[in-house]
Amino acid sequence: MTQTLRIKRFSTLDRLFHVALMITFLIQSATGFGRLFINSSWGASLCRVFGGYENAALIHHWVGALMIAGFVIHVMYLLSRIRWNKLWESLFGPDSLILTFQDGRHLWQRIWWFFGLGKPPQFDRWAYWEKFDYWAVFWGLPLLAITGIMLIYPFWASSWMPGWTLNIAALLHRAEAILAVSYIFIVHFFIGHLRPTSFPMNQAMFSGSVILEEAAEEKPAWVERLKKEGKLQTAAAKAPALWYKVVYFAFGYAALACGVYLLVNGIMYAGQVRLH
Amino acid sequence: MRRNNLLWGCFLLTITGLLVGLVLLPVPGSAQEEVASSIRRYKGYEASTGYYEEFEAKPSRMRPFVGVPEASKGTFPYSPTGAGVRVRTRLADSHQGLKFYQDLRCEYCHPAEAMDIHTTRGNLTCRQCHGGEPIASLEHYYSPMNPIRKHAYVCAKCHEGASASYAAYVVHEPAPGSPAARKAFPGLYYVYWFMILLLAGTLGFFIPHSVLVGLRELFRKKRKDEK
Repeated sequence: MTQTLRIKRFSTLDRLFHVALMITFLIQSATGFGRLFINSSWGASLCRVFGGYENAALIHHWVGALMIAGFVIHVMYLLSRIRWNKLWESLFGPDSLILTFQDGRHLWQRIWWFFGLGKPPQFDRWAYWEKFDYWAVFWGLPLLAITGIMLIYPFWASSWMPGWTLNIAALLHRAEAILAVSYIFIVHFFIGHLRPTSFPMNQAMFSGSVILEEAAEEKPAWVERLKKEGKLQTAAAKAPALWYKVVYFAFGYAALACGVYLLVNGIMYAGQVRLH
Repeated sequence: MRRNNLLWGCFLLTITGLLVGLVLLPVPGSAQEEVASSIRRYKGYEASTGYYEEFEAKPSRMRPFVGVPEASKGTFPYSPTGAGVRVRTRLADSHQGLKFYQDLRCEYCHPAEAMDIHTTRGNLTCRQCHGGEPIASLEHYYSPMNPIRKHAYVCAKCHEGASASYAAYVVHEPAPGSPAARKAFPGLYYVYWFMILLLAGTLGFFIPHSVLVGLRELFRKKRKDEK
């Protein structure tokens, strides 16, 4: 029965954050792309799904407000998770998502490993690309939020700073959105679904746990550390129920389909869009 | 020891006195003005109305114009008036002297200006903002497009409550990556290239990285199956 041993990787709250981010991100990409591509037939039909150009903006603004609220809650959650008496370890330890020099070394090692020229790096709980995923959202969301608020309230924004900053805000909002969308729908989806060890879907973010054997292979330092600290028992988790598995596979694939649809059409109609 | 205690007592008394004074006494002179900040003074008011008391105020901290990069005025222009005519930003009729002007359409000479968001999305025509003939130059003192009154005379037609700062939004942006933008709107230019480099760098690194991960794991899996 060693195969069925599972260890916990994401808390329920982590997973809730991820699901909330998935839903809001997809709505934002669809309404935003609809408006960005409004001069093309595809953009117009995409906006029609949300009730037209004006309505799409309304939805975009409200969902944006939800995302900002989520981000604030997430930051409060982060602050609550910091162990202030062990600040250094809490910030730069292996359970933290903060990038360290170790991640640089891992990346270098891994590039050699790609070509069969070295051993695979001994990843701990979070590998460098997972940390990058996290921080990409963490800096992208406030940037989109600030520029978005400036564009929703141009009178207010221009009373604080000269009006030409609105030109820059519009440019930044579009460029960052395109960066986020292309990164998530290409890189994140590839890592989550198409990668041979993940195919057909990396379930950890939905089930919350990973099979111990697989974790020992992909994140050997993490499992070693848990063993050494004797935490393997406390980290043990139950396998997800079948109905739940069906639900999250359906949900994950629906999100994948939406993303690929937006990506493919976005690339096809890219010629009709300007960044400013 | 006693003396030390006395000194300490005096010190505490002074600090407490100062704190009580800070709370209870009237605020210093600079903060008693009708303006909220002694540094910015009336700037917020000027920015929103374009007026300082009864005088028209120029929006000093704004960047009201996108320059015309090709048209350099230089230190010694062709002639003071001649350069003005060539730059065409201070004329009562900016199209003064153009041949067969009545047969031209705006977009014949200003194709890029007919491509911005106001035209393509707002479905505005040029005349809805720039008005009928003669169209005065932006810097002509009595032009409705002059930044000291553009917000009230032009922008506020649709954007009610527009301030002079708001009107500094550049409707006809230069292409953000172009040398023209570098000269006329450097902020836009540098932000554009920063974001382009960020996009190219992120995708240029992570797409090959993902492909290599995929390939490498494919080979590893195969080897395992063979065992």
